[in-house]
Amino acid sequence: MKTEPFVIERTYDAPVNAVWHALTDKKKMKAWYFDVDDFKPEVGFTFHFWGEDKGVKFEHECVVTDAVFERKIAYSWRYLDFPGNSLVSIELFDEGHQTRVKLTHTGLESFPQDNSSFARESFAKGWTYILGTSLKDYLQAA
Amino acid sequence: MRRDVFQAIADPTRREIIGMLSQQTLNLNNVADQFKISRPAISKHIKILRECGLITITQKGRERYCRADLTKLKQVADWTAKYQKFWNEKLDALGDFLAKEQENKNQ
Repeated sequence: MKTEPFVIERTYDAPVNAVWHALTDKKKMKAWYFDVDDFKPEVGFTFHFWGEDKGVKFEHECVVTDAVFERKIAYSWRYLDFPGNSLVSIELFDEGHQTRVKLTHTGLESFPQDNSSFARESFAKGWTYILGTSLKDYLQAA
Repeated sequence: MRRDVFQAIADPTRREIIGMLSQQTLNLNNVADQFKISRPAISKHIKILRECGLITITQKGRERYCRADLTKLKQVADWTAKYQKFWNEKLDALGDFLAKEQENKNQ
């Protein structure tokens, strides 16, 4: 079973080089994305980070599947304690002073939807926490 | 074969049908008229959507009317919205980060 992926596009007033580094430099990733344990834009490189839902932590594991300097970075995205695997793919388009970013996330339907310990609802709450609390705190503090 | 709402939205034509029927109730012919693909193909999509519980079909005289079941749709919308929201906010944060970085560079 495959569902159509999420596709989100944005254009940023920044050169492609700056966007590439924001996406692939561990320290910069921490500032806007996640506090990843390490990161290298190399196929096969595995990295981890934690998400939290009401005291329950979800460890994410990602493996880089595609890396083309200033063009594309893609990695698998799964939860260590649960079945399923998805794929996040980020493409960069150099538009002079601007950079268009196209993010695609496929395979979300592979995550358990019937498992009560990982019900859709609690999964969703995990995201809400990251977005509503931790990200907001960071942005407001910055 | 397992049928659920996520399978229902797996196909772009089905998503379009759902979108259409969430606005208004239509008979099968009206739905088929909106698409370039064959009527049997549309019927098959409708069948899957019905099996997934996303639409209900009512017979009225000679016409069969299709209506979206919004309870099920909400399940999909919630799931989709979480990820939309998640990535939207992440990409906003990236934008803020980049803007700040460019600003510092220009100082």
